[in-house]
Amino acid sequence: MDKILTLFKREYRAAVRTKSFLISLILVPIMMGGGFLAVIIMENKQETEDKNFVVIDHSGMMIEPLKKALEIRNQKDIYDPETGEKAMSAYHVEFIEPVADIMEQQRALSERVKNAELHAFIEIGPDILHPSEESESYLRYYSEHSFGDDIRYWFRNIINDQLRMLRVSELNLDAAQTADLFRYLNVEGMGLVTVDKKTGEQQAAEESNELQSFLVPYVITLLMFMLVMMSAIPLLSAVMEEKTEKIAEVLLGTITPFQFMMGKVMGGIGVSLTTAAIYVAAGIFTLNQLGYESLIPYEILPWFFIYTIFFIIMVGSGMSALGATANDNKDAQSLTFPGIIPVILPMFIMVPIIQDPSGTLATTMSLIPPFTPTIMMIRLATEVTVPTWQPIVGLMGVILFTLFSVWIGARVFRTAILLQGQKPTIANLFKYAFKS
Amino acid sequence: MNIIELSSVTKTFGLVVAVDNLSLEVPKGSIYGFIGPNGSGKTTTIRMIMKIMYPDGGSLRINGREHDSHRLKNVGYLPEERGLYKKMKIGELLQFHGELNDGKDLKSKIDSWLARLDLADYKEKKVETLSKGMKQKLQFIATILHEPEIIILDEPFSGLDPVNAEIMKDVILDLQKKGATIIFSTHDMAMAENMCDYIFMIYQGKKVLDGTLSHIQDQYGSDTLRIQSDMGAGALEGVAGIEKVNDFGKLQEVRVASGIDPQKILADLLKKTRITRFEITKPSLNDIFIRIASPEKKEDNHG
Repeated sequence: MDKILTLFKREYRAAVRTKSFLISLILVPIMMGGGFLAVIIMENKQETEDKNFVVIDHSGMMIEPLKKALEIRNQKDIYDPETGEKAMSAYHVEFIEPVADIMEQQRALSERVKNAELHAFIEIGPDILHPSEESESYLRYYSEHSFGDDIRYWFRNIINDQLRMLRVSELNLDAAQTADLFRYLNVEGMGLVTVDKKTGEQQAAEESNELQSFLVPYVITLLMFMLVMMSAIPLLSAVMEEKTEKIAEVLLGTITPFQFMMGKVMGGIGVSLTTAAIYVAAGIFTLNQLGYESLIPYEILPWFFIYTIFFIIMVGSGMSALGATANDNKDAQSLTFPGIIPVILPMFIMVPIIQDPSGTLATTMSLIPPFTPTIMMIRLATEVTVPTWQPIVGLMGVILFTLFSVWIGARVFRTAILLQGQKPTIANLFKYAFKS
Repeated sequence: MNIIELSSVTKTFGLVVAVDNLSLEVPKGSIYGFIGPNGSGKTTTIRMIMKIMYPDGGSLRINGREHDSHRLKNVGYLPEERGLYKKMKIGELLQFHGELNDGKDLKSKIDSWLARLDLADYKEKKVETLSKGMKQKLQFIATILHEPEIIILDEPFSGLDPVNAEIMKDVILDLQKKGATIIFSTHDMAMAENMCDYIFMIYQGKKVLDGTLSHIQDQYGSDTLRIQSDMGAGALEGVAGIEKVNDFGKLQEVRVASGIDPQKILADLLKKTRITRFEITKPSLNDIFIRIASPEKKEDNHG
């Protein structure tokens, strides 16, 4: 244990006392948080540049309603009621008659869109009032990026509202009776009613906050990802370097391969915990200062630290073992990907897990040990109540899998660390792990 | 008393037998030289002694203890290929190695060794700033800092200039005087001849020589002549009874064929030239090494 501690101290100092550690400590959260911030900023920021459209109305019944809606939009809606400043784009629409050669007309309009004269053109089918399978009841929006272009919904809403009005008027109903016919209610997302454990008082349910629902699991996941990336993943190249620089042989005269590997992994844990402590403390301080202390998930912080430590040991021992099999940077690069899968995969499925933390995907994935630390933390960080047994069973699985990872990693490590020129093939890895 | 004992030790890598049925006894307090051509099994033997590798067969006892998975205590090991953390400061690196080896009173020892090996001014410098020879001295200090009982040095003199090689030699002899047992492998036959109490040669995984220098030389008899003459190597051409000539320019080392009287060779040479030196001697370690491991010998062995 003393020797592991000595190696841990060296690894820890070597990592923490570098300028690159300080720089990454500052830059990584800025870069990672920056993406999230950019989304928020972009969501709130509306484009104000005017846009031109052409509408070909085969039905002939949408020109007037659209003109009216455009007038309201361009003269009133696009201006901020408080400041009076223009806050949205004005839409200018040219209505043109359909011609016999519609394809040619569409081609010419497409050219105008390509030349940026037009933002898009819209084609309204002739039979939109009473659509049927045989009739031509379409509403088409032609633009270069129509899938991501939300402007099409503005036209959709205006046209559909007008169609409903027309259909209602055909029924000869009184306008006063139909005033709220198309009103619909939004569903307010609420949390649950709780009881204060200290006072016993009932706490009213609070409206669910989009920020809280997404931001907390997002930050927790990113933090865990970042801690593993900065501690466990670099072990691959560090061990490879120690092998190729022949440092490993010097050390192996004094320490066992297991002590060597664990000393390095512990160093990684030390670096991570230092980073985590700094970020968590800074996060708590900042949120308190900004009055967002309700966002701090104190109750899951112990889980976070426990899962992170085991995750680093699990991934770190695997990466050390893979590093011991690598002979050069090319080997290291090709080995990084399989080693990094438990860290990367949860990032890809983070959004569906946050959206449905109690679903089958989330529950199943959170109980598969290599993915448990990240997925379970995402689930715990959401507002749903995860059954108490799940994080406990998940942790037991993680502990067992970590022990297995350390055992197999140590076997590969001790065999491969002195071998030169042996390619890290799957067959060789299997041989080192089970036949050495 | 033997501090290291190998008995019928064998190590194979796939189909290659790196060490074949090797038995060896290293007496406590001795300097034991390991010699042999590259790839003959010296480093593998050393790695097995160090427990970095495990033998496939045979037994290995160090300080009376059977080979097990525990690291050796009181052993200093300088591997053939040096490895140091480049970004560490010299003082910190020595402290790290000293702590790993459970060394005591490290700070004063570090200062004392750095001063002795002329590295005191570099204590606060990073390893990467040192020259190759300096790194070698640094690694040597890291090997002996904790005052080990057994010191294993794989090629300790390679890459050192004569001055530093001399310093290193003196330190090694000093450590022996203080009671350490030293094993070192070398390609410098003169160094092995002059420093080692015992010499062991391994060739193609097998032990081919083991014993004191005089004991080894006795096996070959006094079949070597060292000759200096006015004609140089040309004088030896056509002289009967000469098996092999090793020409050093100003001096020729001659191996006499079995059953030939050296006096007859001297008489033949005197007919050709003036002889300034004629010495009947035992073969040098270098000559013995070449006799065993020369390419023709290798061909014979393979043939």
